[in-house]
Amino acid sequence: MIAFLIKRLMHAVLVMFVISIISFAIQDNLGDPLREMTGQAVSEAQREVMRDEMGLNDPFITQYLRFAGNALQGDLGNSYFYKQPATEVILKHLPATLELVMASSLIIILLSAPIGVFAAIRPRNWLSRLFMGTSIIGISVPVFLTAIVLIQLFAIGVTVDWFPSDTTWGSVLNGMLSTDGGMPSYGRGELVHVAGTWSSGFFTADGLWHLVLPAISLASIMLPLFIRLIRAEMMEVLQSDYIKFARAKGIGLKRIYFLHALKNTMLPVITVGGVQIGTMVAYTILTETVFQWPGMGLMFLEAITRSDIPLIVAYLMMVGVIFVITNTLVDLIYGLVNPTVKLAGKPA
Amino acid sequence: MALLEVNNLDVRFAMRGGEVRALRDVSFTLERGERLGIVGESGAGKSVAAFTILNLIAKPGYIAGGEIKFDGEVLNTLKPKAMQSIRGNRISMIFQDPMMTLNPVLTIGEQMIECLKAHRRISRKDARAIALHKLNQVFIPSPEKRLDQYPHELSGGMRQRIIIAIALLLDPDIIVADEPTTALDVTIQAEIMELLLLLCEKHNVGLILITHDLGVVSQVTQRTLVMYAGRVIEQGPTREIINDAQHPYTQGLINALPQMATPGSRLNQIRGSMPTLTKIPAGCAFNPRCDFAANICLEKVPAFAHSGNCKVACHMVDAMVAGERWTPIITDANGNGATPTDNHRTEVNT
Amino acid sequence: MSQSNTQSSNAPVTPKTSSIVVPGRWQRFRESYLVYSFKRDWMAQACLLVFIAMVLGAFLAPWIAPADPYDLASIDIMNSELPPAWMAGGDPAFLLGTDAQGRDLLSTILYGTRVSLLIGFGAVILQALLGVTFGLLAGYLGGRIDAFLMRMADIQLSFSTLMVAIVVGAIIKATFGGAAFSDYALILLILIIGLAEWPQYARTVRASVLAEKNKEYVDAARVMGFRSRRIMFRHILPNTLSPIFVISTVQIANAIISEAALSFLGLGMPETQPSLGSLIKSGFDYLQSGSWWITLIPGGVLIVLVLVINLLGDWLRDVMNPRLYKG
Repeated sequence: MIAFLIKRLMHAVLVMFVISIISFAIQDNLGDPLREMTGQAVSEAQREVMRDEMGLNDPFITQYLRFAGNALQGDLGNSYFYKQPATEVILKHLPATLELVMASSLIIILLSAPIGVFAAIRPRNWLSRLFMGTSIIGISVPVFLTAIVLIQLFAIGVTVDWFPSDTTWGSVLNGMLSTDGGMPSYGRGELVHVAGTWSSGFFTADGLWHLVLPAISLASIMLPLFIRLIRAEMMEVLQSDYIKFARAKGIGLKRIYFLHALKNTMLPVITVGGVQIGTMVAYTILTETVFQWPGMGLMFLEAITRSDIPLIVAYLMMVGVIFVITNTLVDLIYGLVNPTVKLAGKPA
Repeated sequence: MALLEVNNLDVRFAMRGGEVRALRDVSFTLERGERLGIVGESGAGKSVAAFTILNLIAKPGYIAGGEIKFDGEVLNTLKPKAMQSIRGNRISMIFQDPMMTLNPVLTIGEQMIECLKAHRRISRKDARAIALHKLNQVFIPSPEKRLDQYPHELSGGMRQRIIIAIALLLDPDIIVADEPTTALDVTIQAEIMELLLLLCEKHNVGLILITHDLGVVSQVTQRTLVMYAGRVIEQGPTREIINDAQHPYTQGLINALPQMATPGSRLNQIRGSMPTLTKIPAGCAFNPRCDFAANICLEKVPAFAHSGNCKVACHMVDAMVAGERWTPIITDANGNGATPTDNHRTEVNT
Repeated sequence: MSQSNTQSSNAPVTPKTSSIVVPGRWQRFRESYLVYSFKRDWMAQACLLVFIAMVLGAFLAPWIAPADPYDLASIDIMNSELPPAWMAGGDPAFLLGTDAQGRDLLSTILYGTRVSLLIGFGAVILQALLGVTFGLLAGYLGGRIDAFLMRMADIQLSFSTLMVAIVVGAIIKATFGGAAFSDYALILLILIIGLAEWPQYARTVRASVLAEKNKEYVDAARVMGFRSRRIMFRHILPNTLSPIFVISTVQIANAIISEAALSFLGLGMPETQPSLGSLIKSGFDYLQSGSWWITLIPGGVLIVLVLVINLLGDWLRDVMNPRLYKG
């Protein structure tokens, strides 16, 4: 276990190092702290002097080490736009993104396993075919389009008048297919302050209501992916000899499906899930843009438009940290579930 | 009444191109404690026969005809729950590859205890005790430790022993062993077969041993079935079949053994190869490869002829038993030697 | 009399010679399993039809579009935000309605599809070239090169290719400024997406190469003294083509989606040379005011395009996978 953690730590350090170099390079080349601190009236010569004083003309290595040192203490400079420490700005926006991601992940976990297993056990059932059919569409629709469609359907509302509205059956069908909208599609709603910079939307009905459409949008790509993955893996696992042997032993089908088969199915799913975390972060940027959800992704995008370099750098570093932590967690979980992986260094 | 009776079993697979008949008119019996071998090339239908007994044939396979009777009860029409209570309990099965047979993410103990708990009301402690007892019976060293280990931590031979132990957990009446030693080293093979023989004799457990290895069959079984292209073509006491095979195919199999070849000369092969189940020749399925085929072999499926203690499905043997003459020549309608067609004799130029 | 000539297998037998016609490549393709299953699968045929229709429509846009959306003279702001022709208030001259500037939506969609397809295919060609080369090198040469390339690929993949594309796009935009970015957006997008997605190809090819490396024909080629490069490209590569084809369809779909996402975020095609993604973006502002068609119709076109490509990819994967049991 210790060896595993140490290895992961070294890997984490390597990744963070790479990210920090990139971030610093961006900062060095694009960022200009002087811009924020001086007005037009300061002459070029004075700027040079100030640059020297601030150490902006020092060699690359020195500047990088300074940057890294500051970063480790949580100091990433001040945001040009917010005029506040970049770290603070990010931490203020972090909870929103975290809550969104948590809600989506909940949806994905709770739905993908049962549906995937069902579709694997009864592949010819009409329900299975329906799920698989919609999942192909789900994968093909980019996350921001799903968000837009959801907004149109549930926030704005759609009135359908395909059928003649002067007949009862026509108007009933029209009514069934139309939606009223009314769901919130902007922002987070009412928030409750929990601790530090964390204001949560989980504790108010309004907050939760605001969470629904964005969470569904974010889950809309990953859910079909996992359903298909679980179904495919499960179907392959069900063909293996050990399943046949379990049946030959007279073990009940339920146990075979949900213990013998599922445990083996989950292994590659966990691996793929770990890789998808990166994609999830990218998708949060898209989702937050559509719903104007005040999270890290929206902040990042705005920072790009405003060329707010410190915030861009802060975002990259934060994303790096998140990746490293989640990847380590995923590997840990995988090692615990899969007995053939020697986590604890037990001799065979 | 025999413990296990298989009568006229007909198993088919509904494939896209049509139906494939994997087993045709297969019949055999097994007495209590008897050891039967089923021999044949790959694709002859041996494994299908084994799986069918426990009704484990997966779609698109299905039982198209015939019946299987176990201890008086008809098995193939049994409800799933009832069938489940027979599997592992009164009839057990052993598969070919011990690495693939055990679930890699569950401990040995878990896989043994669940078997016991599936069929009896028993506490985990008691189940564990029985498991230990069985592990001792198959001569596994330090069985306590093994229960908490995972399959990948054990060697192939040990895994197969554990599988045998699992098969014996509930003191079954019959064990069906589908090529239990094919995936093992030669030295381990002998050990495992000896163990199986010992246990079956000691506990009076019936054994259906499916293999392509005539050596193993002669060592362990009392009676043998030879299968070809989905049919049983010869049945009888193992001694007699090995020493005095009657069917040309069985003779070919025995002649093909390395021990039967003269040193320095080529091994005796049966020319041609077994037909795929979708392209089985008319009449006797073996006729393209048979040196003794006559016209009737191209037309009629042979019925069983009784020769000594054996039953042989061969027209020639039938004729010999009846004392008639037999000309192993294929002629066309005019009595001339017929030219080879796809249906029968195919030359193999080597 | 009897024709039995089986007994003496020791006598030398002269093999029959017959004139055999070796079928040409086209003939082999027509009779291949691929074409056979294609002919029997109506879904694959329908998808291919739709796909070809869209590609044709997109590339023939200059000739078949009712109006030229880039010709500022032809746009009349009075025509802005007209609904599609079949709805109340629609104008038959603008079949799918108009956007906020008065541009005909059908035309902008045709041109937009062209841009999306160009970027999609271009990016995939770039990724394939990069990825296949790196994959071959990594798999065949092994050692340090392999470790280095795969470490890079792993890091890039774990950050998700979309993220990498966004970050690279952001950096480029911030460095060169928005205007310059828009001018070269097409090429830049191909570069960005191509660079972001090469690991997929590299990994697939490397896996195939590792499997093929141990086969005898590679040893034979080495013994004959061929140089590594020749062995890699002329001997091993053809045997790894099958998985390359299979992931190519998915990658094209992904590239189109990635480009749409980047454009939607403002890191892609500008409004003056829109792709489907930027059309959706500019239309989104008008969703709340009721002009849903400006954003949803290009959205629908994008969905259909990607869906069709994904379905074809699925079918291709099923056909090329020998293990899949069709009962």
